[in-house]
Amino acid sequence: MTDHLSVTEDKKPPGLVRSSQNLGAGLFLMAIALFAFWQAQELPRGTLNAMGAGMLPQSLAAFLFIGGLALALSGLLVKGEAMERWSLRGPIFIFGGIILFSLLIRTCGLVIAGPVAMIFGSMASDEFNWKEATVFALILTGICILLFKVLLRLPIPVIGAMLEPFFPF
Amino acid sequence: MKKTILALASVAALAGPVQAQTYPARPVTMVVPFAAGGPTDIVARIVAEHMSKTLGQQIVVENVAGAGGTTGITRAAQSKNDGYTIMMGHMGTHGAAPALYANLKYDPTKDFEPVGMAAGTPILIVAKKAFPANNLKEMIAYLKANPDKVNQAHAGIGAVSHMTCVLFNSQVGIKPTAVPYSGTGPALNDLVSGQVDYMCDQIVNLVTQIKAGSIRAYAIASAERSPALPDVPTTKEAGMPEYEVTAWNAIFAPKGTPKEIVTALSSALDKALDDAPTKARLLELGGVLPSAKERGGEWLGAFVVKEVARWTPVLQASK
Amino acid sequence: MEAFLGNLSLGFGVALTLNNIFLCFIGCMVGTLIGVLPGVGPIATIAMLLPITFGFDPTGALIMLAGIYYGAQYGGSTTAILVNIPGEATSVVTVLDGHQMAKQGRAGVALGMAAIGSFFAGTVATLLIAALGQPLTKLAQLFGPAEYFSLMIMGLVFAVVLARGSILKAICMILMGLLLATVGTDLETGQERLTLGIQDLSDGVDFAVLAMGIFGFAEIVRNLENPETRDVVRAAIGRLWPGKDDFRQSYFPILRGTIVGAVLGILPGNGAVLGPFASYTIEKKIAKDARRFGRGAIEGVAGPEAANNAGAQTAFIPLLTLGIPPNAVMALMVGAMTIHGIIPGPQVMTKNPELFWGMIASMWLGNLMLLVINLPLIGLWVKLLQVPYRLMFPAIMIFCCIGIYSINNSTSDVLFTAFFGLVGYSLLKLGFEPAPMLLGFVLGKLMEEKLRQALILSRGSFATFVERPVSGVLLGVAVIMLLIALVPSVRKGRDVVFTE
Repeated sequence: MTDHLSVTEDKKPPGLVRSSQNLGAGLFLMAIALFAFWQAQELPRGTLNAMGAGMLPQSLAAFLFIGGLALALSGLLVKGEAMERWSLRGPIFIFGGIILFSLLIRTCGLVIAGPVAMIFGSMASDEFNWKEATVFALILTGICILLFKVLLRLPIPVIGAMLEPFFPF
Repeated sequence: MKKTILALASVAALAGPVQAQTYPARPVTMVVPFAAGGPTDIVARIVAEHMSKTLGQQIVVENVAGAGGTTGITRAAQSKNDGYTIMMGHMGTHGAAPALYANLKYDPTKDFEPVGMAAGTPILIVAKKAFPANNLKEMIAYLKANPDKVNQAHAGIGAVSHMTCVLFNSQVGIKPTAVPYSGTGPALNDLVSGQVDYMCDQIVNLVTQIKAGSIRAYAIASAERSPALPDVPTTKEAGMPEYEVTAWNAIFAPKGTPKEIVTALSSALDKALDDAPTKARLLELGGVLPSAKERGGEWLGAFVVKEVARWTPVLQASK
Repeated sequence: MEAFLGNLSLGFGVALTLNNIFLCFIGCMVGTLIGVLPGVGPIATIAMLLPITFGFDPTGALIMLAGIYYGAQYGGSTTAILVNIPGEATSVVTVLDGHQMAKQGRAGVALGMAAIGSFFAGTVATLLIAALGQPLTKLAQLFGPAEYFSLMIMGLVFAVVLARGSILKAICMILMGLLLATVGTDLETGQERLTLGIQDLSDGVDFAVLAMGIFGFAEIVRNLENPETRDVVRAAIGRLWPGKDDFRQSYFPILRGTIVGAVLGILPGNGAVLGPFASYTIEKKIAKDARRFGRGAIEGVAGPEAANNAGAQTAFIPLLTLGIPPNAVMALMVGAMTIHGIIPGPQVMTKNPELFWGMIASMWLGNLMLLVINLPLIGLWVKLLQVPYRLMFPAIMIFCCIGIYSINNSTSDVLFTAFFGLVGYSLLKLGFEPAPMLLGFVLGKLMEEKLRQALILSRGSFATFVERPVSGVLLGVAVIMLLIALVPSVRKGRDVVFTE
């Protein structure tokens, strides 16, 4: 697996763009602003004197759009930094690991969710090795159970609903 | 005590491995749909502590807050009906919620096995120190005379202070300017400093302010005066008998929980309510405990139906 | 004066019993340990540990809870410095320079200065509460919705000043934070806003979820792609203790931070959040070389940490004297008190003087304990940084996951954290700084609430913000600060353009 997958072209930006980072940033904000505005459009705006629920979300989204536009324009006009490379390995494994945790914690419990999330997450590193990651994940899960469940008595499911039939007590 | 446990154990052994007889075999989770430390959580924890002793298994309180308590109740209602998940419902989640939340995923009157009423806290009508009225009648007269001037505080749509005051306003027949706050604390702060004129809320939150004289109490909306505030008249005494509201908390189990289990929980709850130290702690909070006829699941089931019928029209009219 | 000393000695008489010293120690210890775990701030810690105190007598229980509170607060700063994750709003600022210091091998210095600054601030604030608690509450009464709104506006100006790079980008981030703060149920009408129909968003985005994603997880991903930056942390570990120079640079920031934090902490409505931000702004503005800030300036740790702790302390004033909790943590303390049969308020002082003064004395004791616990631990924390990153990041990840899950026993909160992690990573890649966004988010909720309350009370007249003297003054200060912040940077921006 390659370490860094290049998402954006790392060549010299085309003549018009003087800071691909700012252009990207501006477009990103504009997209968020448009999405928020679309989501909030049905809320009653009210008047300045009697604000409705939609007044703030809509006007903030509008300001954000203007900010994004200014940023994007500055990316075209003012020289600045170019877009950095984006890696895929880190986000996929880290966020994937967290998502696995959230899917497994109530169904299978911490005994499964802990090691699975940690081993999967560990793969984000280029120094990953199965044996070390597995041993470490199991030990840490044990520590977590001891700390959160035994000492602090948090209502965190150690053995989830799906595994309960196998552990009657 | 030991003898009863032994006796129960031998009965259970004779009856064979039927789940209900060995209930509970592991800790029971009680979902509290509000954050730790709030009035409902406090009642739940006090009651759960004693119930754990009776049941011989720990009742673990799990706080699942959100959306006026409906998030936690939705989750608990959908969990396995084996008696290992129960919940502390509340006037809001089992009375007002159908009127407030259009896409509510449960029906308070149908989706639960009521276990029993735990404790409630009566509602007080309070106003800022400088409010120009000496009693409830004068207060109501002032409210009616100055509908554009008065400001009423509440702790957000769906909060106890919101809906109880909606009921009060509708019975008085006024529509004051309502000022929403993000919690009782900030609302009370502005009442003390006189930014707003009046509010309705649970007695627990108000006792110290009233005793210190930083706000005025006009009436308590319960059948009897509270020992915590013996000078405050009841609404009946003050001339508004129709306004009787208690922010109640009651235990429910998910629909289809075996009857034996519900009965076991019900009697454990009753035992807790009869236990002198537990009772004393609940009373100290200014709480009201259910009388003999208000105990048990059957009464609670009927009560929930009445509560939903009472809140729905009032809250819908206020929208 | 005599009464003051009498009260204090009564307090210390209560606090210095063997039993209570022990409880205070345990509280501070447990609080620190839990607080250090990334993802678990004071609110979560107290909520988790509340049941443990049920068996104690009220005074002991409250002393222990207060210990947990300080411990968690302080532990949060440790995490902020070591792994760049703010456990709560007030340690967002500590992240900025604290973590930079750690990267330069000065983690020990940063932690030590934070501990010493906090202790000093705690001591001053305790004395302040004991001496002036009662009269100070009058200050809080001056603040209505309009005043708070103006205060929040001032807070947003801090966010602009906080920015290291482009002002435009900082303003955009603030706007985004404000926008995020509007997610959830509308307070006045009960309508759902920007929740995309997801029920778990109906109470809005949780601060811990956002901070953990934007700072914690995004940082992990970024560290993984630059092996150089993460290795610096373990390569060079300099001195463990602050040296003479460090102290010299920190005296005044600590003093100023203490004053600012203490004053803002008294205000109900979570004024304490602004303390560290205000302190940072002041230090950055009066520094000879403002460019050092954000690159490991010790004043940027010492001042805000002092402000943070002073505010944490004086936040007890409205609670103890008025019985009104100023923020979520204090609301939890009220709950804890009521469980123990004490209803906080003006009567506590007269009816339960042992409890009241005992607690105040134990506040100071707690601060001392923290110093005692934390100074020796610094060595351990710094050693922890030497754990290879390939083992460290899965550990951070799992603690964050468990922490987030435990806040509300909700799996969707964990999912949201992953989502915000992705957003945070994108923002970093696009050259944005997350701190102004977090400040915008924290202030946004309060700001909208106060704005709408003020307008409801004034029946829609905006003049209320200027006509009310306190509010008017605050707005004026905000405008002046904004001008001071903008003018040099506009000029600097031009300079950059011209030199190219």
